[in-house]
Formats: sequence, C-alpha cells, structure tokens
Amino acid sequence: MSNPRVRIRNVQHDRVNFVLEGVDIGFANSLRRVVMADIPTVAIDIVEIETNTTVLADEFIAHRLGMIPLISTNCDEGMRYTRDCTCLSNCKYCSVVLYLDVSCQEGGTMDITSDHLQVVGYNSGYRFTSGPAYSDPASDGGEELSKRGDGFGNPVGKDDDSVPPVLITKIRKGQGLKLKCVARKGIAKEHAKWSPCSAVSFEYDPHNKLRHTSYWFESDERAEWPLSENAKEEEPPRDDMPFDFNAKPEKFYFEVETTGALSPKEVIMKVTTNSG
Amino acid sequence: MPPSTFKTVEREKAFKHPSKTGHSYPILNEFVAPHLESFNALFPEGNDPGLLALGIKDIGKRVVFDGKGSTESGSRQASWGNRLSMWIDSISVSRPLVPEKDKAVKERKVFPSEARERLSSYRGKLQISLSWQVNDSTVRSTNKDCGSIPIMVRSKRCNIKETPSAELVQRHEEPEEFGGYFIVNGNERLIRYLIVPRRHHVIALIRPSFVNRGPAYTRFGVSIRCVRIDQTSVTNTLHYLSNGSAMMRFSWRKQEYVIPIMLILKALISASDKEIFEGIMMHDYENTFMMDRVELLLRSFKTYNLQTGTQCLEYLGDKFRVVLGQPEDWSNQMLGTWLIDTLILVHLPNPRDKFQLLLFMIRKLFALVSGDTCADNPDSPQHQEILLPGFLYGMIIKEKLAEALTQVRMNISMDVAREVSTVDFFDERYISKVLSKVSFDVGAKMSNFLATGNLVSQTGLDLQQASGFTIVAEKLNWQRYISHFRSVHRGAFFAELKTTTVRKLLPESWGFICPVHTPDGTPCGLLNHLSRSCRITTTTLAVDHIPALLFSRGMTQTHAAVLDGRNNVCVQLDGRVIGWASPPIAKRLATDLRAWKTQGLHKVPLDLEIGYVPASKGGQYPGLYLFSSAARMMRPVKYLPNGRPDSIGPFEQVYMEIACTPDEINPDVSTHVEENPTNFLSILANLTPFSDFNQSPRNIYQCQMGKQSMGVASTAIRHRTDNKMYDLQTGQTPVVRPVLHNTYGMDSFPTGTNAVVAVISYTGYDMEDAMILNKSAHERGFGYGSIYKSHIIDLKTERGASRGSAANLHFGMGRDIRRDDDIREVIHEDGLPLVGTRVAPGDCIATYIDDTTHRTVRHKYHSDEVAYVDTVRLLGNDTGDSELQKVHITLRIPRAPVIGDKFSSRHGQKGVCSQKWPAVDMPFSESGMQPDVIINPHAFPSRMTIGMLVESMAGKAGAMHGLAQDATPFTFSEEDTAIDYFGKQLRAAGYNYYGNEPMYSGITGEEFAADIYIGVVYYQRLRHMVLDKFQVRTTGPVDPVTRQPVKGRKRAGGIRFGEMERDALIAHGTAFLLQDRLMNCSDYSTAWVCKTCGSMITLGYDDLMTTTRSGSLSQGVGGPGGEYCRVCRAKAEEAKASPATDGSDIRLQVPSEYVLRSPKAGEMDIIAVPYVFRYLCAELASMGIAISLEVA
Repeated sequence: MSNPRVRIRNVQHDRVNFVLEGVDIGFANSLRRVVMADIPTVAIDIVEIETNTTVLADEFIAHRLGMIPLISTNCDEGMRYTRDCTCLSNCKYCSVVLYLDVSCQEGGTMDITSDHLQVVGYNSGYRFTSGPAYSDPASDGGEELSKRGDGFGNPVGKDDDSVPPVLITKIRKGQGLKLKCVARKGIAKEHAKWSPCSAVSFEYDPHNKLRHTSYWFESDERAEWPLSENAKEEEPPRDDMPFDFNAKPEKFYFEVETTGALSPKEVIMKVTTNSG
Repeated sequence: MPPSTFKTVEREKAFKHPSKTGHSYPILNEFVAPHLESFNALFPEGNDPGLLALGIKDIGKRVVFDGKGSTESGSRQASWGNRLSMWIDSISVSRPLVPEKDKAVKERKVFPSEARERLSSYRGKLQISLSWQVNDSTVRSTNKDCGSIPIMVRSKRCNIKETPSAELVQRHEEPEEFGGYFIVNGNERLIRYLIVPRRHHVIALIRPSFVNRGPAYTRFGVSIRCVRIDQTSVTNTLHYLSNGSAMMRFSWRKQEYVIPIMLILKALISASDKEIFEGIMMHDYENTFMMDRVELLLRSFKTYNLQTGTQCLEYLGDKFRVVLGQPEDWSNQMLGTWLIDTLILVHLPNPRDKFQLLLFMIRKLFALVSGDTCADNPDSPQHQEILLPGFLYGMIIKEKLAEALTQVRMNISMDVAREVSTVDFFDERYISKVLSKVSFDVGAKMSNFLATGNLVSQTGLDLQQASGFTIVAEKLNWQRYISHFRSVHRGAFFAELKTTTVRKLLPESWGFICPVHTPDGTPCGLLNHLSRSCRITTTTLAVDHIPALLFSRGMTQTHAAVLDGRNNVCVQLDGRVIGWASPPIAKRLATDLRAWKTQGLHKVPLDLEIGYVPASKGGQYPGLYLFSSAARMMRPVKYLPNGRPDSIGPFEQVYMEIACTPDEINPDVSTHVEENPTNFLSILANLTPFSDFNQSPRNIYQCQMGKQSMGVASTAIRHRTDNKMYDLQTGQTPVVRPVLHNTYGMDSFPTGTNAVVAVISYTGYDMEDAMILNKSAHERGFGYGSIYKSHIIDLKTERGASRGSAANLHFGMGRDIRRDDDIREVIHEDGLPLVGTRVAPGDCIATYIDDTTHRTVRHKYHSDEVAYVDTVRLLGNDTGDSELQKVHITLRIPRAPVIGDKFSSRHGQKGVCSQKWPAVDMPFSESGMQPDVIINPHAFPSRMTIGMLVESMAGKAGAMHGLAQDATPFTFSEEDTAIDYFGKQLRAAGYNYYGNEPMYSGITGEEFAADIYIGVVYYQRLRHMVLDKFQVRTTGPVDPVTRQPVKGRKRAGGIRFGEMERDALIAHGTAFLLQDRLMNCSDYSTAWVCKTCGSMITLGYDDLMTTTRSGSLSQGVGGPGGEYCRVCRAKAEEAKASPATDGSDIRLQVPSEYVLRSPKAGEMDIIAVPYVFRYLCAELASMGIAISLEVA
C-alpha cells in the first residue's frame, strides 16, 4: 500500500461518492465490509410492551421498532456495549431508553410513527410500571455521555419536517400502544438493524481491462454491455492495446448510502478506528 | 398491454372505505355461483315452488290400515279396515335465528361470524306441515319441527345474502366474502362438485363386466341417467342379450332389478308387436342384423303370454308388490303403473314419450352391437355433468323426510299388528303420539352429513359413493381457499380403480377442466379444477316452444312408423324425442338454433346446448341433441358467423372448430374463437407468470405449491377460529403478475415477497435445490410468519366435570392460589390468560375451580412450542343463558424462517434454506445490490422453467421502472419475444439486455470471472417448516411389550432402523455400529440362562437367608444371588438316577463373549439379549415350544 488517496466526488447528507486510489483490492474490499458491518450504531434492541391494542402483534411491532434508524453520532465513543458495561441491565452509559405512548381518541385512522418515540433522559427520573428507565451504573466516571452528539438516540428526522417519519403502525379510535424501548450499541454483524448503510456500491476496472470477468454476449460485447458512469474516469482500452497480465486494480469507485444514523463522513472516518 | 400499475391507491381506498353498494371484485361472486344458485333453487322463488317443495310432492303418500287384511274373505276392500294416508304438505326453511326461548335479544338474526367464532353451526329451522286423512274424511294437518339444517352462507336463506362489502366488514366477514359453504361446528365445509353422467342422454357402453350379470348377457348396453324435476335421479340401463332380446335394469333401494324391455314397451302404451317392430326398424328392412334382433326380441316375449298393456302392468305389479312398499289396497295394475312412473325414464311423464325414447335406446343398442356406432366414453366430459351441492342437499332432505314418513307408517302398522289398544285413526292424540315417537330431526342428519361427508341413505341416491361428499374449506391461504370452490371430483369410486383411464386428460375437457391444476399422486386426474371461464348452469331453461320452432323449420313429427330411419336422424330435447330430420335439415336446424340463440331471437336461450352429431361410419350415434337442463358445464366463446358471444357445452364442443386466438381463425373451418387464450386454465394456473415458458409439469407443481404457501389468509383474521392458520407478516404484491391477478383481487391476500435472486453457485450451500438466504434480509423480516393455533378449553369435557346439567367446574382462580403465585402474573382472577402472555410447554394457560374439591385446577398448555396468547374468546350457548363453560384461545406461534424451511418461486422451483449467509460475504453488484436469495444454476437445465428466468428479468425491469409487469401467458410470440420486451426495458435502466450483471465476491472483493444472472423473483414461503418436522431422540419412551423405542414424532419416538438399513451396515462391515443401533440403543437387556438346560425362562431364586442356614436343599446350590434353574433342580430331585435329557425344540448357541457374568458357583449365566427375544421365548413357551441356549 503505497499511497492511499481518496477523491470525493459527491457528498450529500445521506451519501458519499468517492474514488479510492493507491490501495490494493483487499484493502478496498475490507473498507466496504467494515462500512457495512463493523461501524457501531444505536438501535432499539429490547422492547417492553405495556399496552398493545393495535392490529399488529407484539413481536411485529418490536421488529419494526428495531429497524428504525436512531441518531448515533459518535456512538463509537459515546456509548459502551452492554456486554462490556459493568452495570446490571441498562445504564445510561450502555443504553438509551425510549418510550412510546400513543392512543387514538378520535375517529379515523391515526399513524404511529417514529416521531412518537421519545428518548427518556437519564436525569428525568421517568419510571415505567416495570421500574425505572435506566438501571444504576456500577461505576461513575465514564466520559461517554459528553461525547455523544446532538439528539443522540432520537429517531432520524425526528424534529425535521422535511424528513417523513417511519410508520410503525396505524390505529383507530380506542386503540393504543404503550411501550418502553431500550436502544443499545451494536454492529451489523450481529443484526442488520445496526448497519449504518443501506447500500455500498463498489466497482473497479469499468472497462474490464484486467479481464477479471468475461462478459457474456450474443454478438457484440461492447454494444451489449452498457458502460457504467465510472467508465468516464478511465481511459477506454484501445483495440490494439496488448493485455497487461501484471496489472492490478488501482481505482475503486465507492458510493456509500447511509440510513441516517450516522453521517456519511463519520461512517468513512470511523473505518480506521474499527477496522482493527 | 394493460396499464402497468399496482393500483395501490385504489386498493387502499377500497380497504379504507369498502363499497356500500356491492363488491370491489364481483368476479369472486361469480365463481361460487353454482354453489349458491343450486342451494337457492331449493326454495320457492316467484312461481317456482323450489326443489324441496317438488321433492315432498314426489314423496307421495304413505298409507296404513287398521285392519289386518284378510285373504280368506272374498271382498278385499272391507277387510283392510280404515285407511289412513299421510303426506307432507309443505316445507319451509327459516333463516338462522336466535331461538325463541331467548327473549332478551334485539337482533334475532344470527350471522355467520358468530357461528364461526362460537364453534357452532350456522343453521335455520326446517319445518314441515304434515297432513293426514282417514278414509275420505277431512284432511287434518299439523306442523312438525324437523330441527335446524345448516344454511349455505350468502344463500337465499342466509342473513348476509346480498350484503355489500361495508356491511360485511361490520359483520366480521371478508369484504369480498362470497359464501358458498356451510358452517358446521365452527368449521367451514362445502359440498364438492362431483362428476356424474350427463342426464337425459343415452350413452352406448361396452363393458366386459356386463357379461357377469347373468346368462346370455353381453358386454353391450346403453344407459341413461334420468332426472326428476326435483333433481333426484334414476339410471336406466338397457342390456343386450346374446339371445337377441334386451333387458332394462334399474335399481330400487340399492337393489338391482332387470325387466325384459318388451314388457315395458307393452306396458307403456299397450303397443302392438307391429308398432314395436316398425318403431325399431323404421323402414330399414335391408338391415337384416336389426331385423333379426327385433324378430328375436318379439319372439322371446311370447313365452310370457302377455298381450295387452294392462296384462303387462298387472304382471309387473304382481312381481314387484312386495318390494315397492306401496299401499296394500292398490291393484297390481296401479302398482305396475307406479313402478313405471317412478323408475323408468323418470324425466318423461308421458308414457308415449317414454316409449319413443325406449325405441331410440333399442336402435342405438343394436347399432352399437352391429358396430355401426362406437361406444361413448363415460370418462369424457362430453357425457358428464356436475352434481351440484344444493341439489344433493335437497335430495338428502327429501330422502330423510321420506324415511321419517315411512317410519310413521311402520310404527302405526306395528301397533296395528300388535293390536295395541290405543290405535284409533280418528283420535288425534294417537296420531300425535305416533308422530312424537318418530324422529323428524332432519337437521341433525344434515349437520352430520356436512360434518363427515358421509351419506347415510337407503336408496343410495343413484350415486356411486357413500362418503367424501364434503370437504373443509381450509383457509391456509387465499389460493387454496378459492380452489376448493372450483374443484371437481370424479368420484371416490374411481379412486380405488386400478385402471388409470379415468384419470386421463382428454381433449374434450378443453376449456371446462383445467389441464394444469390437478394434484400429483393418488388423486391425480380425479380431483380436477374447473377452468376459469367454465360456468355450471343451475336452472332449467324455458324451452317449451323449441319443438314448435323446429317443426316450422322442417323437422318432422315423431310418428316414427312412417319415417325412414336410414335417412332421418333423431332430434331430442332433454332426452325427449321431439322429432326427426334428415341430416342436412338437422344440420341446418342446429345452425339456425345457434344463430338464434346468439342473437337472442325466437327466445332461444343462450345456454341451450345444441349437439349436432353428424352421421359417420362407426362414430358417435348421429342425431341432434338439445340440452337445456341444469348442472351442465358451459363456457363462453365467440361465434364467428355473427361475432356474438356464444355459450357452449362439452357435448357440442366436440363438433366445433374453435380457434384459440383470432390469428388462428381458418375462415373455412373455424366456427368459434376463444374469448381469451388463457380461459382454459383454472384461476390458479392462470396466476403462474409466464406459464407458457415453462415445462408443463412445473406449472402443475406450482398449482400445488401456490396452495401451500404462507400468505395473508384472511383480512378478518381476528374473527377466525381455524384450528391452524398461517400468516405471512410482510406479504407483497408481485412485481410480475398476470392481468388476472388484479381481476381476482389477489393483492388483498399476498402469498410471498419479491426477492432479489442471483443464479450463482457461490458457496456450495446451494447444492441440490438448497437456497442461501441473505442474513440481513432475514433480519429485516424476509419471509417472517406466524402460526395461529386454536386451543379450546371446554369444562364440560374436562376431568371431574359432572354429567348433569349443572356445571361443577367454573373458570376462576380461588383463594388457594397464593397472592404471590407466579401464575397470577399471567392469569387473571377470572381464570383466563392475559392477552400477550407467553406460554411455554407445561405452563398453566387457564384455571378453574372444582366445586367438589373446592380447589383451583390448573389447565396446562401441552405443545412443544412457545406461543403467545393472541385472543381469548368466551363461548356461550345458543340462547346465551348458561354460565361460561367454554373458551377458545388463539395462540400465536412466531415462525421466523430458519435453516430447513421450504421456499419456492412461482415456477415449481422449491428449495430449502440451507444457510443464512452474512450480507458482507454475499456477492454484490456494482450498484451495491446484494441478493436476498441465491439459487444454484443447476436448478434450471433439467427443469426448463424458462418462465422463472423471464420473471427475473421482468421483475428487475419492473422494479427499476416502477411497473407492474404483465405476465399473462400467450401474450408474446416468436416474432415479439418476451426477452426482447424486457431486455429493452433493462437496457433503458442501464442494465445488460439479457439480465446479467458483473458481480463481485463479497469475501475478496474481486470481480467474478463470469457475469451473474440476477433479478427480482416473487418467492413464496411454503408451510412445511422444520420446526414441525424435525425428529430427534436419544432416550425416550419405549414400547411396553417389546421395550423397543416407540415410533412417531409426536411421542418423541425414534426413526425406524429397518432391514435395508441393517443390510447396509452388514455390507459395510460396521459391526459395532450395527450392535449399537439394533441392540444397545434399542432393547438391550440381560437375562439369566441355565448352563445345563439352556432355558431362559426357568429362573428361580432361593431365599439365601433361609436356605443357606437350613441347608435343606442338598444339591444345586444357586449362584451368589441364590438363583437357580427351576427345571433342572426339579428334574434332578425327581429322578436322580436318570440324567436330564434335553427336551427343547429349538437350540441356539450363545458365543462366550455374550456371557456377561458367569458366577463360579451356581448353574445360571447372565447373557445380553434383546428384550424382544426374551419376549419371544415367553410367547413360544406359551405355545409349548422351548428354546434352549447353549452357553459356551
């Protein structure tokens, strides 16, 4: 690995498009794998249902809650894994507790969305019927809390009208849903809900100069196989060019699309700390 | 191409605001129409009295006398005494209502959902008015309650008959509920369509078995199934005898009788020999074959010495008097007339019509014998019709009422015979006493019929089977549910038949019976499904004017004597000879009728079947046969000459040229064109996308698997009480679907998920039809489902329940359960579980208090799976005045897909999930797409399911462009290929034209050497799950007799290690394994065996304490435990002189290694033997056979 270079082609709030150069294929792929599966985020892991008179079954709702992306800015440092934490169940260092208490009093259909989820502050003293929101930490002195970003643990786009909330279920008059969620830190190797990305596109050698693959074609390879956007970045092979069997892939085209739990920048930057 | 939209908004609207006037998918009501209409036909409508009323009229009167009928007196009349005749006057069936007893209810109507949820039956009261008359005095009548009969849902007697969607939803039904079934004990059951011979058409038969009917019988016969106006039927068969005569066969009370045909011909209209001769010959005097037979026929009858019709009737009456059971005072002639009326050609009331048809039958029979015509195929739909549920239901009610009436008569005549003093026909109290003794509870019998499908009948109802008439309408998924209503069974009788000819797919069934939708295996070809557009007529058409119409167009009158049979063919309307016509005229009549019926001229009904059979050499018997009756299959096609819609039946279809598509029309030949080339497929077969690309067996498999897939079975799942119900959590509408998917509203009941499928051999975990599931896709909910199971707690059947009416068990929790007991967490004071409670095997699910012991009893949950309480239903009784004794608990068992669960695409490509592969390791495309499912390319070459490959392309293009892809079969052609259509779409989306993509290994990131076929395919999760199937055992229950492991998954049994498996181990030389399987892990046991005599069953024990001390027994001191052989010791004591000779019958040798312990002292050894061997020794000993083991 001589000289890794990253050229960012496009950054948006939920995606980044960049070209990685100067690395070998194994490195590039491990970057992809880490981005997909090794960046820790927060996601709802335990749901205690107090009332559920909706049409959906408890486990259905719990599953849906788990899939909601929660803001996990600097989750890596801002939170402990529950398994590493010394507390008994879920303390403020290793969990974020959310509650949802919605009931429909009027006629018509009402949507329960991720916007109804409220983070329970660890100072609020909020108590559920089953007990306090957080368990007592075994020891003090963690710096985790200060490292958390704004709105940590809140559903993505909670107080943002431009982002449509995630629908959990619909209820009618007389129905209601009351529950406590414990969100924990985790990685997507364990469960897909902890993945910060929804998709990672990865490409190299758009002209197939290295002949890693052989395109199947009916009559004319060039006519039948559309070139990808990334092909513009590279010199198209000339017909008279000899095949360089020693060549190695050099440029890797990435596009990382996030779920919103982490910013694309953070996703990429965290790779270095988590790829160990 | 139809608009490519998913109609999401429309559907959502329809769900939110169900139609207040009708249904969103009226076609669903159409396909159950035969069920409903045939049931509705039972009840009066306008001028139509209804089949039940016609039936009770046909039952007639039952007559009984209070005299004994003396033979010695000369005058018969006087000796019989008073004549009491009884009959059923009228009949009525009410809608399902709350019993009168309950005064408190406001809404008296009972709705189907109540019956379903309360596990009761949905039934209405059947009442009859019974009349009787003594001699000629005034008629008296009384109303009689006949119990409650199950009512077909959405029929005329149903409380949600024409209810629109909005109200149906309020009534806890599906918004598209179409009915057609009965609810018995909470189960939805329906009467299946059954194939029966076509009514009113003479079919020629050649059956070798006819020869066995008696001497001179031959294999030739003609048969006709005649149907009365109340839809009950009688089959008459005319047998050809080798002596030239013919015998008419019919059955009466399951007993078969044969009568010479001449006897009937004469009896009918007093026909002279000449009349009969001319009637059969029809001027065809050159036909010496026929001439000879007719001569023999006439001559053979001379022996009976009966000349006039009256003589014949009297003869018949005399012979049949005993079996018919008609009034004793009837004359023989009356009986003879009655016999002919009720059993011979019952569809024709007029004797002359019967006579004419009999002549026709004889002519057809002789033509068959001479080889002029061929035999008709009774397995062909051409000669078949459908026994409709409602008609069968009516027949049974009629028979049950007739039985009850006969019972009354029997009771009275018994009283008369026993000279009971109270017998007084004029005393109303006596009559009502007799009536109360007889069970008129038809309702219970009908419920039993529906619940079991068994027909308890004295007459057999002219059917070939006595069971299997009804089936449960399983709501496993929507596809299975709707198929029940379209299924047609050939008859249970044919299932046992060794020949497979009945199962054959015949070209005649095109358009009526689906060639694709039949199960494979035992019921293959017997259980069929109606084609999509096939209808079944349910009413008899108005055709009284047709004969006159045909006369006016050149048909000649029925005076057969003046007609020449050589150049005239018979014209029949519903089995009645209405005239004759020369073949060209007959053909013209047929064309005219078809033109009229399609154009609606001359009131010719569209459903009239016009079967013109042209004259041929050795073909079907020619003639013009018109059918207007109910129960025929009909289907719509377009009539080419005038371009109007025509309705055709299977009889006429054989002689038509129907083009499949407008392109195929041959102007010189074609008469019709199909309205739609896919009309010949059933609904399910139509739903297979691109089925025309697949190898045909794959489509058959898909029809089966579609019915096994998990899906949304019901939108009213909360109000269902099915024993087991499968539910898919996240069903999707398929991206690729035929147009009919929308037509039938399948989107309300999805049965699968659109999955990104890569066809690649990736890890080896996809060998042999296994498929790899993306772990992340699984975690996001791919294929997640649940099972709903019913758990019913009925305190009446619980242990300790009292037999009496007062309940002694009550739901509730007594004070004997401590305040802090754990079950108080999950069970409420009322003894019922809280909704949402998790129950594990052995957990308490409800509690009740026993009055006798004053203790709380815990009702346990016995099943091997963790479940959640979904609903708790408290079930009351019909009147709602009893204490709670029965609860219905719906348990929800979550079933996330696990390794070993079965999935399938819609092309008969099933596979088992073999791994949940981590997403990072899955291959991915340049755009970052990762497959949800990986299947092996080897799944394709041998199965040739090209449809699946096309679906994959179409799905990918559809997903990219947001299109609902039309996958109707037969829309593409060689010129306009599907590949091109979807390939262009793919190219427009930036993909390769052929659906391939370069992909990268998830593990190394390297590009694969080959590009991969990846696309979107709709995947179904099948209901076969490992959790229901896995079977493991280390130790467990054993059979008490053999001490070998028991079998059966439910009992934690083992899997049999059989002879062939044993052979394999022997062949491998794995002796230790063999020993382990068959001995150590099975019924290993140790036994004492005598060293001297080798017996295993003669063990005795000395009481060591006493014997050693006293030393009374000198010889044969037992072993260390005091064991000894009783036989040997006894022998030794008995005759010390002579050494014991071995008297064993069987001698076996036990090698020394099996001797476990050989105590130095004593005479017994311990050996290891299978326990069954010890058992065998004991059994043999009981037979007096001794087994001796030679212990080395």
